[in-house]
Amino acid sequence: MLLAGLVPVLAFLSVTQGSRDIALRDVLDAFGHFTQSSSVDDTVTVRLRVPRTILGLLVGAALGLAGTLLQGLTRNALADPGIMGVNAGAAFAVVGSITLLGVSGLAFHVAAAFVGALAATALVYTVGSLGRDGATPVKMALAGAAITAGLTAVTTGLLLTDLAAQQQYRFWQVGSLAGRYAPIVTGVAPFLLVGLVLALLCGRWLNALALGDDAARGLGVSLTRTRVATFLVVGLLCGAATAACGPIVFVGLVVPHVARFLCGPDYRWLLPYALVLGALLLLGADILGRVLGGTGELQVGVVLGILGAPFFVLLVRYARLAEL
Amino acid sequence: MSVPVLAVDSAPAPTQPAAAALRRTRRARRIRAGLVPAVLLAVAALLALLTLCFGSVRLSLDQVVAAILGAGDNDAVDFIVRELTGPQVKAAVCVGLALGAAGTIFQQLLRNPLASPDFVGISAGASVAAVAGIAVPAFAGASLPVLAFVGALVTAAAMYLLAWRDGITGYRFVLIGIGTAAFCTGVTGYLLTRTSLTEARAALHWLTGSIGQAGDTENDVLLVALLVLVPVLPLLQRMLRTIELGDDTARGLGVRIEPTRLVLIGAGVLLTALATAVAGPITFVALVAGPVADRLLGSARGGIVAAGAVGAILCLVADYVAQYLLPVEVPTGVVTGAVGAPYLLWLIATTNRRGMGG
Amino acid sequence: MRLRLALATAASLALALSACSSDVADDDGAEPASGASATPEGPWTFTDGSGEVVELAEVPTRIIAHAPAAAALISYGIRPVGIYGDESVDTDPNLDGVDLTGIEILGEEWGSIDVAKASTLDADLIVADWWPAEKAHSGLENSVKAKSKKLAELAPVVGPSQGGSILNLAEGYEDLAESLGADVENSQGAEDKAAFEKARDAFAAAMADKDLTALAVSPTADLLYAANPEFAPELLDFTEWGLQVVTPDAPDPDFPYWENLSWENADKYQPDVLLIDSRSFEEAKKTVAAQPTWTSIRAAEAGQLIEWPAFWLHTYADYADALTKLTADLADVDDTIGD
Repeated sequence: MLLAGLVPVLAFLSVTQGSRDIALRDVLDAFGHFTQSSSVDDTVTVRLRVPRTILGLLVGAALGLAGTLLQGLTRNALADPGIMGVNAGAAFAVVGSITLLGVSGLAFHVAAAFVGALAATALVYTVGSLGRDGATPVKMALAGAAITAGLTAVTTGLLLTDLAAQQQYRFWQVGSLAGRYAPIVTGVAPFLLVGLVLALLCGRWLNALALGDDAARGLGVSLTRTRVATFLVVGLLCGAATAACGPIVFVGLVVPHVARFLCGPDYRWLLPYALVLGALLLLGADILGRVLGGTGELQVGVVLGILGAPFFVLLVRYARLAEL
Repeated sequence: MSVPVLAVDSAPAPTQPAAAALRRTRRARRIRAGLVPAVLLAVAALLALLTLCFGSVRLSLDQVVAAILGAGDNDAVDFIVRELTGPQVKAAVCVGLALGAAGTIFQQLLRNPLASPDFVGISAGASVAAVAGIAVPAFAGASLPVLAFVGALVTAAAMYLLAWRDGITGYRFVLIGIGTAAFCTGVTGYLLTRTSLTEARAALHWLTGSIGQAGDTENDVLLVALLVLVPVLPLLQRMLRTIELGDDTARGLGVRIEPTRLVLIGAGVLLTALATAVAGPITFVALVAGPVADRLLGSARGGIVAAGAVGAILCLVADYVAQYLLPVEVPTGVVTGAVGAPYLLWLIATTNRRGMGG
Repeated sequence: MRLRLALATAASLALALSACSSDVADDDGAEPASGASATPEGPWTFTDGSGEVVELAEVPTRIIAHAPAAAALISYGIRPVGIYGDESVDTDPNLDGVDLTGIEILGEEWGSIDVAKASTLDADLIVADWWPAEKAHSGLENSVKAKSKKLAELAPVVGPSQGGSILNLAEGYEDLAESLGADVENSQGAEDKAAFEKARDAFAAAMADKDLTALAVSPTADLLYAANPEFAPELLDFTEWGLQVVTPDAPDPDFPYWENLSWENADKYQPDVLLIDSRSFEEAKKTVAAQPTWTSIRAAEAGQLIEWPAFWLHTYADYADALTKLTADLADVDDTIGD
């Protein structure tokens, strides 16, 4: 509850704070009289900060949920969207579309990344479910790692021969909320919203899966159908999130652990906690990056790594985290 | 679904006469445990010789052997073999051995098939240091291998200390490793966006990992470390078996679990750090060598030498492909990923549950 | 059985080994040098960009050169036996229009040089720019693979130093070519130099009529990077010849090549014209089109964007072309837009 109350606070901060100093009065005014020919301060507030805040909340929630779903599905504490091939698939699609098809521009990146992420996730699941015993957690984790490594290798190979692609890729690979405005936000928001709702409905299945395959079967849960459905939701969430912001690591990995620490192992509670925590974490990190960067900005991916990781390490060290 | 054609082992059926079956299985396992690493090492040695002959300048076997033995009378051949291709092959073999061995040690120690050194932060630590060496003007001129080595060791030490609370649990170590890796990735990403384009390119090359990256001194250090490790290998192997039993059982047997774990982590970290210093963070070798070796070893799985040999073969092949078979030369890491990944996928698709340790 | 597969592999490998032949004949002895016909008598000395004086008993004739150095030497009639570049010889702007027939290509990607092949060329000199900041020659920098850096064991490496002006390089290669026996007066290079001087004078004359300020930028989706001219010799040259390139007042202390501006602060500098890296000009135009604050820079609003030939110029010929294009591009630019 308290956490959910923090969301509007952060959203307010996100609109009022940034690398450009704008007086609070002017921020509020900007909503009153905004037109095409308004001042730079107005443009910054309405056309830069508002979409950025919405995107930050949505993507953070999506990544937090997706990570929780994946860790529940694979019963592996190391599972995060990155390991499931999402980032690698998106990166491959972005770089491939630049070098092989010659298209460029952020809108193309977003579309390519979405398709790439979905395709890679589907591939990971298909490979992981081949063989006698279906999609076991270990096989899925290994399949994800394998596909990630393979795609990353090909991506790097393409990049090294194309300077222009390299130039674009090194900024894309950090993960950022900056520079993503209305068209992109409205483009990915429907996918994210549908994904969020579906994800919240998966709690009962994940609780059953957590008991082990046999117990889950005993409860009348179809393992295959559950896994396929959950994986689809993960693909949707991560695909849209990565498409919009580039590969943002860490949120999907850490939020489930923190949520489990706060509310215990019941996925029906875990999932809403993960949603709120993810949104708070991503937007909070983004605000910090904007305030700390001087006239520039630190990309949110950088802030998460540099500030979030030590926090997580301390949490692991001093709190007793539940094992999966 | 039919039984996979190439699955090597199937657990003995419980209905067989127990004693005879057990004896047979044990004997088969012993033979396999000795034979498989020997054959793999032989394959690696042959591949090494082949690579020396079929470089960008083709040499005959006589010339190569003569140059290696120091009996060559042709300066050009001597230069190529002794200064260029020889050290390259030596580095490929050593890096492969080190990564393969370190990978299987970590995977068994932390009981997670994803817990290879590239996933739990050690390579990431080396990468930050090396990219800083390339990109931050203050470090200009510093030796990248030394930076990478120090980076890996400092990261590993920090991870061990942070994970220590009345001992180390594998789970906590893995989680801290992930956090550390995320931290290092964040810093590396930051450095990459701030560099000039040429430096970013240099960093990208280093980050992909390439055999031949470091000079002869670093190669020799790695070689010496591997040689030092040979006599203690049986000891390490026994330690791994103990750990595999689980903490409580091991303690029950009177084994002091923490020193054992520290020694194993230390060995794995040292090998990874040295290999990364020599070649950069070559992906995938450490992850894949263990599972592949286990497939060959059957019930005798977990062998460090076999995993090392698989790593060496993978590095040799990848290095050859990267240098000579592609239209432009690419870093070795590109090929280990592109070649290793489909192979691992095939393994996953055809394996039974036991074979993958899951 | 997997084991048998492995054994079979081993056997076939052994078979392949016994059947391989050699490119290098066993009768030792280097091929005779086949250099330019009118090679002056030795000894030969040259002062490298590092300040080191290189002395050889004979004037070198078999040269391996970095791609831009090769282009410069070829314009004076000195043909290297081998070249290595930072990118494919087909796309390298330095090699545009340069005839490479008979020259061995030893590397087409930054950081990788086929030293084994180079060792068969019997080179007696290697030519590449000297980078004072990195303290290394092009292609042999600290972060290059050790195996590629072994190129330097084949022959001495020399080259003029990168520095405060592109002319350091252009003049340096002229001197080097002369010392190697080139007839500089009657070469393509001499014509190029005359063309360059004409282009430079035209540029300076055009700038004298106006009061133009420029900012060199690299736009990305996240940030707008403003270049620090201190680290781009051509920008310093432009300033000297009358186009005032703005020096950002708060470059990133750790990476002084740029000042990082968030898009919220895009309007911090108001120059008359924006220079954008020519290698990514079209891409950059797409990037900025999506940025609502791009047009808060008045020069951007007025469409005064010019291609910046960034970081690659080496020769009089290329510099002449670049300056002529720049003069033409700047001709219609309004100099009252900026502060």
